[in-house]
Formats: sequence, structure tokens, C-alpha cells
Amino acid sequence: MPTRSRRTFLETVSSGLYGSALLSLLQSEHTRAATPQQDQLAIVRNERGLHHRPRAKSVVQLFMNGGPSQMDLFDPKPELERQHGKPYFHKIAGEVEFPEAAGALMRSPFKFKQHGQCGMWISEAMPQLAKCVDDIAFIRSMHTTNLTHELALFKIHCGRMLPGLPSLGAWTTYGLGTENQDLPAYVVLDDPQGLPVNGIQSWQSGFLPPEHQGTRFRASGTPVLHLQREFSEPDAITQAERAFLGEIDERHRRRRGGQPRLAARIASYRLAARMQLAATDALDLGQEGAQTQEKYGIGQGESDSYGRRCLIARRLVERGVRFVQIYVNGQIWDNHSNLKSGLESCCRRTDKPVAALLQDLKQRGLLDTTLVCWGGEMGRLPIAQLATGGDGRDHNKNAFTLWMAGGGVQGGSIHGTTDDLGFAAVEDRVSVPDWHATILHLLGMDHEQLVFPRNGLEERLTGVFEPRVVGEILA
Amino acid sequence: MDVVSCQLQLTSWPEYSVWGKINPMQHVPLTLRSRWRATITFVVCIGLVCWSTSAGVAGDNESRLAETSGLSVVDHDVVLPILLLRCAVCHGLRRQEADLDVRTRASLLRGGKSGPAIVPGNAEGSLLIKRLRAEEMPPRKQLKSVSVKPVRATEVALLVRWIDAGAPESVRLADVATSDPDRLVSAEDRDFWSFQPAREPKLPAWPPETRIANPVDAFILRKLVEKGGNFSAPARRQTLIRRASYGLTGLPPTPEEVTAFLADDQPQAFEKLIDRLLASPRYGERWARFWLDLAGYADSEGVQNSDRIRPEAYRYRDYVISAFSDDKPYDEFLREQLAGDEMVDYQNVSEITEEMYSKLVATGFLRMTPDGTYYDITNFVPDRLKVIADQMEVLTSATMGLTIGCARCHDHKYDPIPQRDYYRLVAVFKGATDEHDWVKPVSRYLPHVTPAEKDARDRARYIVQHEINTLNREVETLKEPTAKRYVEARLQKLPAELRDDLRRLLSTPETQRTDTQIALAARYEDGLRITADVLKELDVEFKRQVAAAEARIKTLTETKLPEAGIRAAWDRGTPSPTYLLKRGDHLLPGRRVGPGVPTVLTDGKTPFQPAATAGEKKTGRRLAFARWLTDPRHPLTARVIVNRIWRHHFERGIVRTTEDFGVYGDEPTHPQLLDWLAVEFVRQGWSIKQLHRVIMTSRTWQQSSEISGESRRVDPDNELLSRMPLRRLEAEAIRDALLFVSGRLDRTPFGPADPVNARADGLVTSKARTGSDVVASTSEVPGTWRRSIYILQRRTQPLTILENFDLPTMNPNCTHRMESTVVPQALHLLNNQMIHILAAGFAERVMHEVGFDSARQVERVYRLAFSRPATEEEQTRAVDLLEDLAAAWRREHGETADSTASAQANRLALGNLCHAIMNSAEFLYVD
Repeated sequence: MPTRSRRTFLETVSSGLYGSALLSLLQSEHTRAATPQQDQLAIVRNERGLHHRPRAKSVVQLFMNGGPSQMDLFDPKPELERQHGKPYFHKIAGEVEFPEAAGALMRSPFKFKQHGQCGMWISEAMPQLAKCVDDIAFIRSMHTTNLTHELALFKIHCGRMLPGLPSLGAWTTYGLGTENQDLPAYVVLDDPQGLPVNGIQSWQSGFLPPEHQGTRFRASGTPVLHLQREFSEPDAITQAERAFLGEIDERHRRRRGGQPRLAARIASYRLAARMQLAATDALDLGQEGAQTQEKYGIGQGESDSYGRRCLIARRLVERGVRFVQIYVNGQIWDNHSNLKSGLESCCRRTDKPVAALLQDLKQRGLLDTTLVCWGGEMGRLPIAQLATGGDGRDHNKNAFTLWMAGGGVQGGSIHGTTDDLGFAAVEDRVSVPDWHATILHLLGMDHEQLVFPRNGLEERLTGVFEPRVVGEILA
Repeated sequence: MDVVSCQLQLTSWPEYSVWGKINPMQHVPLTLRSRWRATITFVVCIGLVCWSTSAGVAGDNESRLAETSGLSVVDHDVVLPILLLRCAVCHGLRRQEADLDVRTRASLLRGGKSGPAIVPGNAEGSLLIKRLRAEEMPPRKQLKSVSVKPVRATEVALLVRWIDAGAPESVRLADVATSDPDRLVSAEDRDFWSFQPAREPKLPAWPPETRIANPVDAFILRKLVEKGGNFSAPARRQTLIRRASYGLTGLPPTPEEVTAFLADDQPQAFEKLIDRLLASPRYGERWARFWLDLAGYADSEGVQNSDRIRPEAYRYRDYVISAFSDDKPYDEFLREQLAGDEMVDYQNVSEITEEMYSKLVATGFLRMTPDGTYYDITNFVPDRLKVIADQMEVLTSATMGLTIGCARCHDHKYDPIPQRDYYRLVAVFKGATDEHDWVKPVSRYLPHVTPAEKDARDRARYIVQHEINTLNREVETLKEPTAKRYVEARLQKLPAELRDDLRRLLSTPETQRTDTQIALAARYEDGLRITADVLKELDVEFKRQVAAAEARIKTLTETKLPEAGIRAAWDRGTPSPTYLLKRGDHLLPGRRVGPGVPTVLTDGKTPFQPAATAGEKKTGRRLAFARWLTDPRHPLTARVIVNRIWRHHFERGIVRTTEDFGVYGDEPTHPQLLDWLAVEFVRQGWSIKQLHRVIMTSRTWQQSSEISGESRRVDPDNELLSRMPLRRLEAEAIRDALLFVSGRLDRTPFGPADPVNARADGLVTSKARTGSDVVASTSEVPGTWRRSIYILQRRTQPLTILENFDLPTMNPNCTHRMESTVVPQALHLLNNQMIHILAAGFAERVMHEVGFDSARQVERVYRLAFSRPATEEEQTRAVDLLEDLAAAWRREHGETADSTASAQANRLALGNLCHAIMNSAEFLYVD
């Protein structure tokens, strides 16, 4: 873009029309190679997509930290029933986190039944989700590259097994910006009971401009850090102070013509005021009927907290928020022991709310443009883990199941298979970068073109190993 | 699986390629290469390494077998990597379990307690193979504790082939640079501008009446004039002092300093100002941050969720601050950080000197990367290789402006850096960081602090421990009578005939008990012993009594310093051999390489010679490397640092890609200026302070930041430097300036980092200091805070205010900070309680300094925050505001004639004014 028009453009942008995120994206020296052309804005806004026509406008990621057990939830293994109790460790010795505790093959404590028109097999642990299977595409052949939580989490959130890199959500908002300037483009709904493993690193912006970091919303109290005053003061006084601040900033800016940063700053202060109203409104679940709240499991013991966050997610998506992540505390799906009761507890917390979210989005016509992704960072082994009581499962990087719904994916479908025992994905294997590429594709982005120049490289989310979009699950 | 797909596609990848063979652009002229780069899908490679520590998946094993079965010669170099990977941790350098060392042919023949490990020519008859086949070795139960993965079938097959072939020694020597011309890097490759030494350019001549005396101006103006432009008007002097103060110290000037400077009409006034600022201890604190970003400084290890603290990392931070303050020559600064341990004989002295101490601390530079190897589960060889890769990344991006990370997996696609050169560089550091002889983070400490410090630290620890002991005794004393009551109550529930015996038992020390008592104790004692913790549950009154003491014990325990140790990297003199890893995969070792530097930066025919070190048992490799790097003729070292310093002054480097001087990087906008600065920098003894003087006394630096019509027309994006850029303060400067104006800045330098406090909602704040104590910051605490550089920099708990203002993540380092303008910044400054407290502090300070006259208060506020007086209009507006606000506060508190209430209203009003000023653009931006 010629420098002159770029400058004029920056000034237009900084008038607040497109929000500060884009402004600072354009201003950053780092993005010079990736600076969107002026008409690219129009592309995004006209829904033609950044690289191609998008199927989904927003994403809700239901992240299940710990490694949910695929063969006990979504990927039934009758062979495991038959070979229950047989030794297997010697075949997978290098793949076990705790070799000293490795036991024999272990069958699932749950029964599976077929559901929906598609006849999908779902475990009895998820009775509510079972009602939604006709809208869901299951990828049973996921695999990752490390069997420790931290590294596998870095991989699934940020594409590589390193801390400090941009997350999928950050890449998404970097590519697409926002549809609602009064709310952050990337919202994280973390669990009031505690942060997930890796904490805030799961939604960092890494080397991308800092505004692409996920903003944490809290389900109660002040929704966003510093959204309200942390001290008490009469409103009239605050208003007088703000008016004075506005005056001196405006005078400061007038005396320094042609400095887009100053206009952007003033715009960001105005946006702060608007966000206060918009975020408070988005999080006001009182606006929802009792019936809706009931469907989400709100006010019903263990599902209350997750239900609230699912309902908030829907309200955020409705308002144009691009990427919403819902987390659980710690790693509740890490069932090294007490597999049955552990999974039951996880499902009591999440099954009803997740199903309600899918049904609610669908009934409001939002599911067509909203991609819902469910899953964790890895799977679990078909053998028992002994040291802790004998009914747990250890980590497995070679197979796990993720599912996606809405936003252009083919409901009621299965992609990929694991071996008879569920140890490794064998057919149509899908790597984490494949999965990332697929999500970007559905959002109208080409993973190879979504790049950020850094240290002499064009960094991208999906890295070097030529991932492929999983076209088979697209509607 | 990433690795599999890669291998299947690339099974015929040569061991390492001849440069021209793999680089499709070998014969393309360089200018064209750089033009092409935009259209090439460039493959991201840093850190993308094959972490497959494991087989399990069929395709994986097979492809590796295909890879290895093609080997024509199976010599010792083929099997040694396997033995190092699977066996040597227990049968190698540090440990010889069963007296076995597997690392050489001779030691295998000698064997261990069970006899020779190998029988050449008879693999199946060799103990080594028998043990491996029986899966006795490596032992399953110990795998995790030594971070070893089970041996693979393909590896056993190779060992079998080796033994059956008679267990031949290595056929080739390690690949190192020799006096023969190098075949991978050509003379043409060396022609690229940044690989050629800087030559002093001829200064552009300007007639005397133009008064262009500073060479910086001569170069800048030449290009400006060429494009029909000129310098902007000089900035006003009050702008200059603010710009200079923030630029050099990260703090604003005091009103008195501004007055004195404006009153100094001598021609040398500005030079004097620069000298004063450079001499301030605040200078080192400001500019150390610049280097710490490059080094990737952090006070914690990262990677794992527990994000373990590095309690002694601060010594390195202090070293860097001192180095900048003392203007340590940059070449010496680099040598110490890369090889300080090889420059002093610290092992064989009776007393550690300051010099030795500081050189050891300097090597902390090599210990800053994220590092998860403090847990067994993330301490496998690939995890360690990742740490080493980060170390190479930090080293090369910080000191050489090269992105060498690509060459970890394959020859660099743009720059003439063959993969071989990457591993030669890795071999340079192997004496200190060896993936087969790993020093875990918890062991990376040398005890070699100076006697004075050791003494002081011991004493401080003793004093704290003494207080903890005293408090514990107090708690114990308080516990005794209460606990007795509860014990008595429990005794009452036991058979009456036992009670007296049990009472006697409880008062008898364990060593003096009879057999009967011991038997009795086994049955009843646990139920009768009441610890202080249990008692707190049982007895609210007791809990209340000990609350204060326990809180104090908790604080003391948290803040008690560990025994003094230096987090250092030191040569251990026994590096394991370095193998080129095909595709970066530790399971695909290629040729053995020796230490060396990137060939393109040498004449290609000078062997790399380890240096003679101070003290024995050191390889001298890093010292040789450090000397090579700091040779005045090195084409990159001086250019890269002057370009970075330049960028900090002007927002952009002369080479914009400060971290990449390679083919993919930007070309310098003013190549001759860059070379002149580099040559001058070395001539001035690598003095960074002198470089500041040269830059800051230039007309270029002293221009106004106002955008004139001409500047806008000729130089819209300021690429020619026709004006100074208007700049926002960096994160640390914002926090420090807020503390400074509010009078709450604690100038205590150095020492352990001040802790942070993470609130449940995510806010991370630094704890305040009251006297010598560090306490949580609340509105009730009239504490002070230290400068941002002294606050704990934990990877998982960045200080929220710094993070909001673009504090970078270290991954592994930050070569270039970004600046954003986003809502959380506004929200933080407007609504955060801490900012509110500081605004009140600002108001207090102003009242203390100038009294209660609102006009004088406004004047003082403007001078402190903006380094200038208020205009008449501003004065009137602000005084009116104060009156309105005071009236509003009086109404709020109920109108009374009470003078105290009225003073309170005025105070709060002034606080509001200060709060607005602290939020203002003028406070946060520098002209």
C-alpha cells in the first residue's frame, strides 16, 4: 500500500470506525508484510472471508483439560471387552508416562448405545449429548506429539510444544478482527474454581500484537478486570474528571497533528466506556427466562457453573464475539484413577450445559455460523494404570477423539478410526495442525496464508509439516 | 503424526546436503533472492523439531528402519548415540553401575561385574544384546526417574550389526573447519553486505555554515536533501530534557532539574545533561531492561505448570544493570556472558574476588531460556535439546542478528548457514550444556559468592530463622495448656486403667521409652498427639491467639533467602560428542561434528581453536567463540548492537529487522551511517555510553516531533528521520513514572526480586515495601514500590499493569517489543485501585510541597507530570475543576463549616485532578 494512503487510512481507522485492534495491527512495524489492504476490511465485513468464503463466523471452544478418555466416551472398543486383563505394556513401552504402574488391558466401565438418525455410538456417561449427535462430526483419529499435559496443551492451543506462542483464538482474531467493537474479540470464560493447567498461557497472544490475547470474563462480579472502579467515588465526580481528561487529551492531540496513535488512544478511552455497558449487558443472565436457565443446568448443583458459562458464550456469540473459550479448572479429565466416578463427575458438570448450548444455538439459527469444538489435549490408554487403585488410564498421545458441530461441519459423521484396542489412530489420522487448519478453513482463512513475519520467518499457526484441511467432515 | 509424514516424504534426504544442491536459489543473485522471498511459501521451522521420543506407531519404526538399514558402514559413530541415549546415564561418565561404562569400544570390551559387555563378531553372545533383548535393560521401573525411553528394535538391530561386524571404531574424524576451503559456503555467499566487515565510510561533506558537525547528521541529512527534505526545527529545550531523561533513565526529570537546565545557557549545557543522566544509577536500571529482553530474562523456569522460581536469577539482572552503569565495554560484556567461567580460575582460589564472582554470574545469560527439565517427565533428551535450541536462538538473535534456528533441522533456506554449522555451534557449548550429561535447573548453582556476601547472607538467614524459631516456641508455649485440655478429654474416652500410663507415655521422650511404652505408643499415640494445626481446628480461641505469630512465620518463611548460589553455566571439561541430527530428530544422528563458528562469517579456511582457559578441565571452546565474536573485524557484532541502540532512540533500526541481518532481513536504510557507527563504536572502546552521546548530541535526535507540512510531504512515514517520532512510554517506564510522581518510588537497587501477589480475578500486583518488609499492597498500606525491573518476573504471573502495556513474553527472548493501544490500558489506569492510591499519593505530595493554594498546586502537578508549567488557560481550567470537584465532595459528605471536612474535600479534589493527569496522553507520551 502506498505510504500516503496508508497514513490517511490509519487516521480514518483511528476515528474509531474499526476499533483499536486493527489500528494497532496496521501500525505495528512487524506486520508490514501482512498489512491488510484497505479493501480487505471490506472483505471481512462483507463476509467474503479473508481468503475465501467463511462457513463459520465465530467459534466456541469447549476445552476439556486433562485428556478425556476416548474409549469410554465416543470410541467404543468391543475388542477391549474381549481382551480385558491381557498384558499389553510390552507393545507400547515407550508410550507410557508411568511405566512402573502400567497394567493390563482394561475394558470400559460404561455401556455404549446408538443414538440419533445417524446411529452414533455414545457412552451412557453423556446422555444429553447423545441427543445432539446428528449435529456433530466426531474425529476419532486425533493424535498429538507429546504425552505430558503442559507440552500437549501448548501444542493444541498454540500449534507447537513451546510456551509463549499465539493461541488459536489469537490467530483467529488477528486474521478476522471483530464484529463488535464494544466487546473483546476473543473472550475466555475460565472456571471460577481455578485456572486450567498452563493458566493464562493457554490464551496468550505470543508474538502477535498484544490485543489478540484472550480477555477473561468472569461469570459473576465485575466481568472484566478493571471494568468498574475498584474504589468508591460519586459518579458526578468521575464524570467531571473524565470530561477534564477528555479535554486535555483532545488539546494534546490537536497540537500534534498527524499522530494517529493519539487519536487511537482517545478512541480506546471511548471504547472503554462503551465496553462497560456492553459487557455488563452480555453477562446479565437475568435477561434469560427460567426455562432457558433450566435447560443449561443453571441452579442445578454441579452443572450450574459450566451452564452459566455456556449460556454466556451463546450471548457473546450473538453479539459478534469472534472466539469464546470455556475452560474447566485444573485438569478434571485426567483420570489416572477412579475412571468411572471421575468421568461421571466431569459429565455431571458439563454434559447438560454442552447439549443445551448446541440446541439453543441451533434453535436460534446461530449454529450455522458458529463452530462449536469439544475436546482436550490428548487421549488415554487402553491399559489400566495400577499404582493408584487399578481403574485409571494413563496418557495417550497416539489417539483421541475431538468433535465439532455447526459452522459448516457435517453433522452425524465420524472421521478416522483407531485400532481395535483404541491405542493409536490408524486410518485418516488427523494431527493437531490438521485440526487447526480445518478450523481456520471454516472461518474463511487459509492456514498457509495466515502468517506473521518474525525473526526472519513467516510464522504460522500450523507450522512446517504441511497439514491438510480435513475436508471429509465439511458439510 | 508430524514426524512420520515428514519422514515418509523425505527418506532420501542426504546426510547433509551440499549447499547448492538443497538451496534452489544458490545461483540467483542476492538482490533477486530477496525480491523472491515474498512469493515463496516460507516454512516455519524454529522449534519445530521432531519430538517423537517414542515409537509405538508402526509407520514410525519402519521408516526409521528403512533409514538405518541403508547404512553401509556401522561403526562406533553409529552406535554411540544409541548407547548415550539409552544406557550411559547409569553406565557412563557420572555413574558406572556394575562397573560398566558403555561409551567406548574398549570399555565395552572390558565390561563390568558380569563380564565383557560385547564379544566382537558375536552379537547374540554379547551380554549387552542379551540384556536388551530380555528387556532387562534399561530397567522399566527406573526409566522415568532417569528420563530414558525404552530401547527400540531398530536400535538393537544396529548394535547387533556393529558387534557382528567386529565392533569397529569410528572411521571418520569429527567434522570441523580445516585449512581446506569449505565446500558448503562459497565466496559469493560471503559477499552479502552484512557478512563483510564494516568499513569506515567517507563522511559526506557539508559547508561550515550548515553547522553539520556530527557525522550522524551528515549521513541523515544527505539522504533527506536527496529527497528534497530537511531536518525539522529543533525541539524546545524542555522537550529535550524530558526526552533525554526518559530515554536514558526511564524516569521524568524533576521540576528542579528542568529549571536548572533551562537556566543553563552555556553551549555545553545539553552535553552536561547527558553526562549527568548517564552517570545516574537509574540509567543502568533503564538500559539493562534492553539487554534482559534480548537475553530472555525470567525469574522462573516456565514450561511446567508449577513454573518453578529461579531464586538467584536476580544476580544476573544485577550484573547487567551494573555493566550498563559502569559502561562495561560491550566486547568484554559479551565475553563474560559467553565464557566468564573460562576466564577465571574460580576453582583453585582461597577467596572468590568480585571479578570472579561477576564473571560467573554473567554466564547466567546462558541459563535464561524456558526450561521444563526440572521434572523427570519433561527431562528427556528431546526436552533438553529444546533448551539448547532456545539457547542458540537467544545467542544468535541477540548477539549476531542471525536466525540460525532453521539450520537445526535443515540447511538455512536463505542464509548460507548449513545444518552442519548449527551443530558445530552446539558443540561449542557442549562443555556446559550437554544433553547426555544434563545439569538440572535445581543444580545449576555455583557456591562461589564472595566471602562478604556469603557472610551477610548467612547472617540474614540466621536472623530470620531465629525469629521463626522464637515464634514457633511462642506458638508451642501457647499450645501447651490448651492442648492438654483436649488430650485429657480424649483420655477420658479410653479405658480408665490406661490413662495414667498414657499420661506418663506422652511426657516420656521417644528414646527413653520402655518396650511396653513403645507398644502402647504404637496403638494410642497418634490419636492423642495434638499438633498446633489440629488444635486450630478444634479451638477458635487458640487459633485467634496464634494468628499473628503464624502470619509472621508465613511471611518470614516465604521471604527467607536460600543459601547463596550463582545460577551459572560452567564448563565441566567432558563434553559428549556432538552429532548432526537429521531433521533435528535426536533419533536420526548423522555425522559427528566438532566445535566451530558459522563458516560464512569466517574466511572458510581457518580451523577453530579452543582457547587456553584460566583453570584446568575446561574445554576453552566458549572462550574461543567469545573472542571470535568480539573481534573488532567481526562483520555483525558491532553493527547489530549499534543498530539496536539506534532503534531505541528512533523507534526503528537502520536495519529495521534488528534481529535479522541475513538475506531475508531488511537492508539498511542508511548503510554508510550504520558502518560509521559500528566502526566508531569499536574505536571508542565498545562504549555504549559514548554511542548515546554521539546519537543524542546530533541534530537528528534533537529535532522536534511535530509533523511539519514539508516533513509530511517528503517523508510521510519518517523513514528518512525528518523528525523525531512521538513515542509512548514502555511498560516499565509507565509504572515507574506513576510511582515517581506520586512520591512512592523506592529507589533501593539490586537484590532478590520483590514478590508479586496474584488475585483470584487475575490481577497481578507487586507487593509494597514498608521499611525492610515486603507486604501485600492494599489501600491501608502506606508502602512504597521498587522500580519495575526489580519485581519478580515469573512467566505465569506477569505484572498486570506491565502486561497491559505490552510487556513481552520471553519465548525464548524478545528482540523487538510491540506497542498496542487497547482498552485494558484505559480501564487499568481509570479503574485500578492502585492507580487511585498513587493519585492520592501524588496529591499528598503536591500539598506537602506547595501547600493549599490551588493555583500553585496545579502548577506543581503540571511541572511534575509534564515537565513544563501549565499555560494560563490550563491553569484557569484546572483551578476551576478543583473548585467544582471540592464542592462536589463537600456535598457528598454533607455541607459543614468544619475546616477538616473542607480540607478533606480539597485533598480528594486534588487527587481527582492528579488521577486525570496520570491518565492523560501527555503523561504517557514523549515528544
